[in-house]
Amino acid sequence: MRRQLRSRRAPAFPYGYRYRLDDQDEVNQNYLADEEEEAEEEARVMVVHDLEEEEEEEEKEEEEEEEEEGQGQPTSNALWQKLQIVNEHLWDPEKRMSLARTGQSWRVMIRPFAHSLNFNFNVSEPDTWQHYVISLNGFLQGYNDSLQEEMNVDCPPGQYFIQDGNEDEDKKACQFKRSFLKNCSGLEDPTFGYSTGQPCILLKMNRIVGFRPELGDPVKVSCKVQRGDENDIRSINYYPESASFDLRYYPYYGKLTHVNYTSPLVAMHFTDVVKNQAVPVQCQLKGKGIINDVINDRFVGRVIFTLNIET
Amino acid sequence: ARRGTGTEDVGKTDTGDGKEKYRGLKDKRLELKKNHQKEELKKEVDLEDHKLSIKELERKYGTNIVTGLSSTQAAELLARNGPNALTPPKETPEIVKFPQADGAILCWIAYGIQYFNDKSSSLDSVYLGCVLALVVILTGIFAYYQEAKSTNIMASFSKMIPQQALVIRDSEKKTVPAEQLVVGDIVEIKGGDKIPADIRLLSTQGCKVDNSSLTGNLTPSLRTHDNPLEAENPWNKMSTSPVGTATGMVINTGDRTIIGQIASLASGVGHEKTPIAIEIEHFVHIVAGVAVSIGILFFIIAVSMKYYVLDSIIFLIGIIVANVPEGLLATVTVTLSLTAKRMAKKNCLVKNLEAVETLGSTSIICSDKTGTLTQNRMTVAHLWFDNQIFVADTSEDHSIFDQSSGTWASLSKIITLCNRAEFRPGQESVPIMKKVVVGDASETALLKFSEVILGDVMEIRKRNRKVAEIPFNSTNKFQLSIHETDDPSDKRFLMVMKGAPERVLEKCSTIMVNGQEQPLDDSTAEAFHTAYMELGGLGERVLGFCHLYLPADKFPETYSFDVDTVNFPTSNLCFVGLLSMIDPPRSTVPDAVTKCRSAGIKVIMVTGDHPITAKAIAKSVGIISANSETVEDIAKRLNIPVEQVSKRDAKAAVVTGMELKDMSPEQLDELLTDYSEIVFARTSPQQKLIIVEGCQRQDAVVAVTGDGVNDSPALKKADIGIAMGIAGSDAAKNAADMVLLDDNFASIVTGVEEGRLIFDNLKKTIAYTLTKNIAELCPFLIYIIAGLPLPIGTITILFIDLGTDIIPSIALAYEKAESDIMNRKPRHKKKDRLVNAPLAIYSYLHIGLMQALGAFVVYFTVYAQEGFRPSALINLRVEWEKDSVNDLEDSYGQEWTQYQRKYLEWTGYTAFFVGIMIQQIADLIIRKTRRNSIFQQGLFRNKVIWVGIASQIIIALILSYGLGSVSALNFTMLRPQYWFVAVPHAILIWVYDEVRKLFIRLYPGSWWDKNMYY
Repeated sequence: MRRQLRSRRAPAFPYGYRYRLDDQDEVNQNYLADEEEEAEEEARVMVVHDLEEEEEEEEKEEEEEEEEEGQGQPTSNALWQKLQIVNEHLWDPEKRMSLARTGQSWRVMIRPFAHSLNFNFNVSEPDTWQHYVISLNGFLQGYNDSLQEEMNVDCPPGQYFIQDGNEDEDKKACQFKRSFLKNCSGLEDPTFGYSTGQPCILLKMNRIVGFRPELGDPVKVSCKVQRGDENDIRSINYYPESASFDLRYYPYYGKLTHVNYTSPLVAMHFTDVVKNQAVPVQCQLKGKGIINDVINDRFVGRVIFTLNIET
Repeated sequence: ARRGTGTEDVGKTDTGDGKEKYRGLKDKRLELKKNHQKEELKKEVDLEDHKLSIKELERKYGTNIVTGLSSTQAAELLARNGPNALTPPKETPEIVKFPQADGAILCWIAYGIQYFNDKSSSLDSVYLGCVLALVVILTGIFAYYQEAKSTNIMASFSKMIPQQALVIRDSEKKTVPAEQLVVGDIVEIKGGDKIPADIRLLSTQGCKVDNSSLTGNLTPSLRTHDNPLEAENPWNKMSTSPVGTATGMVINTGDRTIIGQIASLASGVGHEKTPIAIEIEHFVHIVAGVAVSIGILFFIIAVSMKYYVLDSIIFLIGIIVANVPEGLLATVTVTLSLTAKRMAKKNCLVKNLEAVETLGSTSIICSDKTGTLTQNRMTVAHLWFDNQIFVADTSEDHSIFDQSSGTWASLSKIITLCNRAEFRPGQESVPIMKKVVVGDASETALLKFSEVILGDVMEIRKRNRKVAEIPFNSTNKFQLSIHETDDPSDKRFLMVMKGAPERVLEKCSTIMVNGQEQPLDDSTAEAFHTAYMELGGLGERVLGFCHLYLPADKFPETYSFDVDTVNFPTSNLCFVGLLSMIDPPRSTVPDAVTKCRSAGIKVIMVTGDHPITAKAIAKSVGIISANSETVEDIAKRLNIPVEQVSKRDAKAAVVTGMELKDMSPEQLDELLTDYSEIVFARTSPQQKLIIVEGCQRQDAVVAVTGDGVNDSPALKKADIGIAMGIAGSDAAKNAADMVLLDDNFASIVTGVEEGRLIFDNLKKTIAYTLTKNIAELCPFLIYIIAGLPLPIGTITILFIDLGTDIIPSIALAYEKAESDIMNRKPRHKKKDRLVNAPLAIYSYLHIGLMQALGAFVVYFTVYAQEGFRPSALINLRVEWEKDSVNDLEDSYGQEWTQYQRKYLEWTGYTAFFVGIMIQQIADLIIRKTRRNSIFQQGLFRNKVIWVGIASQIIIALILSYGLGSVSALNFTMLRPQYWFVAVPHAILIWVYDEVRKLFIRLYPGSWWDKNMYY
């Protein structure tokens, strides 16, 4: 009874404040986006202050509800269950938010894994790039089309894939097929372009439980030369072609219930890069409210790496 | 014709003491031939210049007493012998050892290596190095500050040198700086001058010298030629000449003067380490032992677990920093100086901070008599006339004895007239007892006594004009004067005499009883002797008084008395009475001695006085208690020879300097252990050193009081030297660790009380400080073994040690005593340690581990709430610390960049820090008491504790919310709820400790009590 009442609400945002949505389909995106921007600037302390106010509110609500339905069900049992949930999922069912939160903005990371983010290889010497191929292949095993079709659902693009229900219920995951990456999928070119001096680099956003990319506006990826001649990179192909992370992959419910979740990827195919010199590349996330210029953490909304392709 | 005032004077009675001291000094020197410096002193005093005639002197020193040295001669001598100044002792600069210094250097080296490996490596090691260096510098400044405050004997010795001296050179009187005096110079001394060097007197005019800073004897005495050893004509540097003028020849300058020898002797006696310094050292050994052994153990573990050696070194630093209570030195010093201030208010001026505690552990006090136990003023105590002893108490109503007797009328007249002491003019408003008197101690006493009883003495003397006088001298042992009477009809002269009773009695043929002269027969002589013995037995100085009316026919008004030819009778006088004087004990002393005794402190009296006087005073102040007897007393009571008395029966002993001289160290040890009440009489100040050494051989902590320059070696040798603030010489004050501003023995007792309290409170402070070491250490150990992300950083630890914990540990110094600390034995130097096994075990393993657990709960809570469940943290370290991993997955599938992890790690540091801080509040509260419940002690009696708690919280708040953005400090803004996670643990600690105390109170002496009471 109570859970049903609750389930009408949208899941709370994990960073301390919550939007009450009467109907999740009628999201007033602009309104929320504005709020988000404001909230970004708020200090944590303030956020917690909001929380406390809310807590009081909830408590009152709870009391009323319990009076209504409370016959026969021992309260201690319910409390115990609640505690179990809190303990296991770090999920506060009262506030409908995760207690575990890594941050308020997206971090990005790239594949293949390269120590200190320098991609140095010689096209004519497979030994110098073979480990990138192996790394990418390994990373993409979970994205194989067959596996994705078997495990995950094909959900409608362009909107959040919001799943209500108990916190401990398993959540469905949206398909992200390897084939989406076209030339960078490794299906047609098993060397991911490394053999031709046109390397593919995959970019993913670090997972954050409950967090959603810019509320209805997909986040785009854009790369350019970080320092030096703009023309060092003459063309980049992005896969999927939109160069964005579709909304249907969000929010993430955490690995305990969102078991088969596969992070969406954007592949960058550097098809024409100046050879035989180090080219610093910066790939940034672009979108409303996206932060990509933090100095301390060089992975907030951007990633900087070097390409040094020798022929 | 009468001799002019001047070269002879009364007061020989007092020089007796001085001579004895000198004699003792010499004896002592002979004994200690092996000691090089003392040997020198011996040589020095054996100078023979006083025996030489002026001609011989001139020859010896190549000078002329009229023209003096020539300037060139003087310059030559000055160049050869150096200036007339004491050389300051060579100061060996202490190289302060800083274990942290190595840490700082290691950190920078570590950074250097890291930098070469990877240019982008973090600056953490540099920050750590800087902080450690800062700690080193602060500790260094602190140590230097303390050093600077410590005493320097020489500084004050040199201050004592007079700036100028009047010297005859080239037949002219010149004023030269005293430093330029050379041997052979002829100097003139005026009243009030300090003697600039050791001089040999050539001529004097009414000049007396106060040699007190040498002999400890306060009575100015004239230096005459009669005793070779006492060298009456050489005057010693640093003595002052209160009256008259004199001319003398310089015979010794600079370090070769007697005072220079004593100064070098004093500085030669090594200052013993104070008990608290020993305790702190012991504590440092324990802590260093724990730190180094754990550090090396984990270094080995880390290396064998394939950590890089560089990382292992940083672990080692972390472990050592966690273990070293960096703030303790400051805490102890501040604690001690707080107590020192408190003691200063109670008239104990503590010069050496560590001495504050030493007084508390004192088990033997070697006390002076004069001035410390007594009031240092002679007072008339008893009178004997008409075959009766009367008590004279001038402090109360003086009508206690019968004043109607005619004998009293005569006696009072003799007392008044046969006295040369006078009140210094211009103090009419001052009460009689406080008036300043020109004259020696006995005459002063008599003057004040008669002033109180008879009224204006000066007026009486004026009415009875003095016509002739023979002053006191040591050969005659009497003083005589002849007066006109105030009765105009009586034309006879009155001759009055006072002096040593037996001498006075010899001169008498009659005795006055009830105003009537009676022939002196055997029975009256017997009565006289009984009274004399009785008064003498009380330790009082007895004087006899007699008079004679010279018949007017033989001695008409115009008769000219000649004291040189003695053209008047000095026998067949009429004996009038006896009077005895004593330096009465201070009223507070008996109580203080009782307190010492109940506090288990042995009080030994060491005095230069006569044994009988010493014993009498000892009895009256309780140093020899009422029911204890000496061997001699027992022998007398049982009427058996002294040899037959079993020594076990006697509790008390009176030992003279002569006996002491013949004792071997073993015999002295035996004496000190066998008797609980000991009085040393007729001792030289040097013998004090032997006594102190003897006491120290018994493992006792010895306090010594003293005032003379000669006391300074003993004062230095003692564990705590106590100088008298009023009577003490500067040298004594400098050699001492403590100065009693009111010269009052009772002040020592309050000092003991404070000292004991500070020991207890230091114990509490150290227990408090040690506790958190485990909570700081465990994170490193678990980090190395279980591979968790580091729970607390080194810099954060320093912020606990030097930040939040400082004021609370000082606050414990304000804690009141738990029970009557003056009712327990002094702590045993070697058994009752400041840091004992129960303290270390209880702090480290009980409360410390609980605290570590509580802090880990906070740490795990923070990590879990952020997404890393404890199980996920195990062995996460390698991945966690890899800079290249920027999508580390947590327990919920979220991914973390390196910076996010670092930030979380700092949040973890802050959380761990807050966890420790909250529990340290509980720790602080439980440390208020060791045995009693907190509620018995009162939670709010010590307000400073609450200041401490407030400071802890405020500093933590500032660090987290104020400095949370400074990345070098590794603090972050912690969510408010994390501050409360450790509260239940804090309460648990409190309850646990209350239970511990409850069992200690319920089962005293049990296993629990022995192992849980620290």
